Amino acid sequence: MSQWMTLFQKEILEMWRNFKWIWVPITFILLGVSEPVSSYYLPQIIKSFGGLPEGAIIDIPPPTAGAVLASGLSQYSTLGVLIIVLSTMGVIAGERKSGVAAMILVKPVFYLSYVTSKWAGSLLLVWFSLFIGYLSTWYYTGQLFDWVAFSDFLQSFVLYGLWLTVVLSITVFFSSALLAPGMAGFISLALTLVVSIFSGALSHLLEWSPAQLTSYASGLLSAGELPEHAMPASILSILVIILLLWLSVFLFKKKELAA
Amino acid sequence: MELLEGINWGLLAPLFIIQLILLIVSLVDLSRIEKTNGPKLLWVFIIIFVNIIGPILYFVIGRRND
Repeated sequence: MSQWMTLFQKEILEMWRNFKWIWVPITFILLGVSEPVSSYYLPQIIKSFGGLPEGAIIDIPPPTAGAVLASGLSQYSTLGVLIIVLSTMGVIAGERKSGVAAMILVKPVFYLSYVTSKWAGSLLLVWFSLFIGYLSTWYYTGQLFDWVAFSDFLQSFVLYGLWLTVVLSITVFFSSALLAPGMAGFISLALTLVVSIFSGALSHLLEWSPAQLTSYASGLLSAGELPEHAMPASILSILVIILLLWLSVFLFKKKELAA
Repeated sequence: MELLEGINWGLLAPLFIIQLILLIVSLVDLSRIEKTNGPKLLWVFIIIFVNIIGPILYFVIGRRND
């Protein structure tokens, strides 16, 4: 356990050194908050661009607070996923390429603790950034539109966090299975995209798909109650995460022994 | 000027501040790092002139970790 803690602390320290603790949360804040701010000032923005005939009346019905918050959240499933994948794709593959992994693994370090400590470090960063970013989006939505109940906020936060954790685990899996960080990132992004598109298109068949968690989170925000399939989807996501972690340790061990 | 009056600056100021922090942090990192993907001077311009996206782009693709 103490060995795992040392590796974990090394991860946290490394993320301080390359400023991940600063830029990822800030990016998540800016991504989320831009949504309530731009929809609030939309009439003014249209007016300032001009080009409208005199006396034209633009009547945009103000969106509900839940809808604004949901669209802020949806930013994280596109650009947020991109940032998570690009910033964690090198987490194992990069270290193996540069030889740091070999340097650590000559010591009696379990492969399990090596992979899981890296995964846990990134996990902490993702959940922290998502929380900070989403909390500020919630606050701005409350200030500019209407307050959404804090319990709804927390529930949709957990649903979204689970989906991002699945994405993170996919990235860690490919990072340990492949040597090139760029390849790992590309395959993880492609896989995430395919899963989201399929689950969106066949939503009545794939109710348990982890990618559906994003639409359950926005459904929760607009309807105010937890969609019925959210529970099985969350359980399946947790199982997928465990399976992916186990597989990445297994593959990593095999590759490392072969090399 | 009429346009600027309707804006709640108390609410928007924090956003400008964190954007500024992002810019400063990326410049500090750029000055410390040995090598980047592509010329260093190019990144200085991207960070300063491309609003918000510039520093993020630098951290995601400009930085070299090995």
